[in-house]
Amino acid sequence: MTGVRWGYALNQWDTNIDAFVRKRDHERAFKTISISGFSGVELTAVSFGPWEPFGSPHEIANLYGSLDGLRSFLSECALDAVSSYVYDPFVGFDVEMGRGPDPLDPGAVEQITGTALWFAEAVHRLGGDTLVVRPVGSAWQTGELSDDQVGTLARLWNEVGRRIAEHDVRLALHVDFLSALRLGDGIDRLLAATAPEFVGLALDTAELAVAGIDPVEFFRSHADRVRHIQLKNARELVDDAEALTPHAEQFVRTEGGARRIERWFFEPTDEGGLIDFEAFARAVADSDYSGWIVVESDQSPRPAESAMVSGWYVQKVLEPIIARSRHALGAPR
Amino acid sequence: MTSPTTEPPKIKWSYMDHWRSQGPAGPIDQWQSRLAMTRFLRQVAAVGFDAIDTFDFRFWQILEQYGSVANYQEFVQEQGLERIVNTFHGVYYTPDRYAPEVPATHDTILEDFRVTMDRWSGIQLDNIIVMPGSRFFDEVGVSDDGLKHAAEVWGKVGQITQEYGVNLTCHHEFYGGIRTRAQIDAFYDYADPEFVKFFVDTAQHCIADVDPVDVYEAHHDRVTGFHFKDTRTKDVNEDYRLWPDAELSAVTTEKWFYEMGTAEGLVDFESFMRSVRDHGYTGWISVEHDKADKVGGDYSESTAIARWYAKNVLDGIYEEVAK
Repeated sequence: MTGVRWGYALNQWDTNIDAFVRKRDHERAFKTISISGFSGVELTAVSFGPWEPFGSPHEIANLYGSLDGLRSFLSECALDAVSSYVYDPFVGFDVEMGRGPDPLDPGAVEQITGTALWFAEAVHRLGGDTLVVRPVGSAWQTGELSDDQVGTLARLWNEVGRRIAEHDVRLALHVDFLSALRLGDGIDRLLAATAPEFVGLALDTAELAVAGIDPVEFFRSHADRVRHIQLKNARELVDDAEALTPHAEQFVRTEGGARRIERWFFEPTDEGGLIDFEAFARAVADSDYSGWIVVESDQSPRPAESAMVSGWYVQKVLEPIIARSRHALGAPR
Repeated sequence: MTSPTTEPPKIKWSYMDHWRSQGPAGPIDQWQSRLAMTRFLRQVAAVGFDAIDTFDFRFWQILEQYGSVANYQEFVQEQGLERIVNTFHGVYYTPDRYAPEVPATHDTILEDFRVTMDRWSGIQLDNIIVMPGSRFFDEVGVSDDGLKHAAEVWGKVGQITQEYGVNLTCHHEFYGGIRTRAQIDAFYDYADPEFVKFFVDTAQHCIADVDPVDVYEAHHDRVTGFHFKDTRTKDVNEDYRLWPDAELSAVTTEKWFYEMGTAEGLVDFESFMRSVRDHGYTGWISVEHDKADKVGGDYSESTAIARWYAKNVLDGIYEEVAK
């Protein structure tokens, strides 16, 4: 036993409200993930609206009867758990699908905490233990964060982390490549301002790499705060100037920016990728990390193929590296 | 303290390599490059298949890209698969040139197999699979004399293949000349059981309204392999008469074949697996779902779903008696 459990993110399947809404679609995706060697699935809810199959209590009830019904369905598909939920406060989690609250608004604590608690209870009942959140908006919206802003974020996420810990769920802040936290030493300042027992990091290899941060080096220097890992690959960098493009979510991430990058993210096996995943696995093996490693290939046009080639890579390359190294160190962790 | 012994599994799963996928420049065939082949083989290995089956007409691409059949098998093994188990002999039958029912063509057939078996002699195969009868589109099927002629030539071919340690085994397409239950039974009555084996394709039989469990029960002692695949449609329009290929030409059925493991399928795989188990079959079972990419399908996903079903449903049925 290595203390590492392998999951796969569902985000590449769940892209549109008029697709992936039937249990049959979910069943095929879950079975594909399971037979590819993963024991958990990560869910990303994009709306509490009536068409969101996994982020809406009502739709979960419609499709599966209850969260327990969903867990039974996962089990029937030979999956152990929903490893984690991904929650972005900016998404409006209500039926009207409006804009959600801004974490930098001190008045948003209760609303964000309330939604986070629903996700935390859900992920706990679904067998997982991690809530992944987008902790702050994009760099172009804020510039480098002020001390006051870091303080506001720290109060919010400390509170969320403390409250969801009551459900045995840990909070993991996810730094995407457009995040305000990429500017200056934003990540370290927020980590320093938050309580390690309540607030950790979700390390996403590709998001960091696109932002010009080496994920292997970053993991080695921040392993004590890493609570969750997402593995995916990337081929292109986005510097701070490009990240500061107004409305960068649309003009850089979606449209590809001035370079018209068609796809930012790839499977870990991608030959043109920036990331040394074997070095990353060695870094994990050398650490005390235990928990989920979720492989992602969001933006893949062929989700099943991506899950299967990623499954091969985990089974044949990454997991053996971690198992060998930890065995050599003498004890399961 | 003694270590627990782990017995090798009595059945293993192989994947028949129909496959198409999308590349960055459009649809691709995995035989177009070593990179595409790597990606294909790794997907098959990732979901737990232990081996692959292939077509023998791939020989020329194998030579061009890998140098030899043995080299290609090594390439397969580098991706985590054990070996190549079966090869399907893909030949276009015509009565004037190459037809099992026409004795005048038998010398050509026998010479073809001598060449073919020599080409594949660099690796050890379990079976070479053939269509035992031509497509006779203008007739009800093969005449009784035709069945005898076909049985005769396949008996001779089987002697050749067994010199290489390979079974000659017959696969009955729903559009083939030997397609009905009566034709199948008569053919095997005429054919030498030592040299002519039977390869059961669950969907092909089902489409031709032959119960796959019943036909397996009747002929299990000469069955040397299977294609486990499903269908949702029987041929009720005599589509088997369509030229040149009823699998592709049928007007009302765009897609005949599906992966096993879905509720809509007509094949009762659980009953089939009980029969396989109860007759003591050990060895390889091949999974196939050709033309999975039609009407929005995806080979990767179908392969995963089929393998999921094999692991989570059928293996359990087989192991009930093994215990």
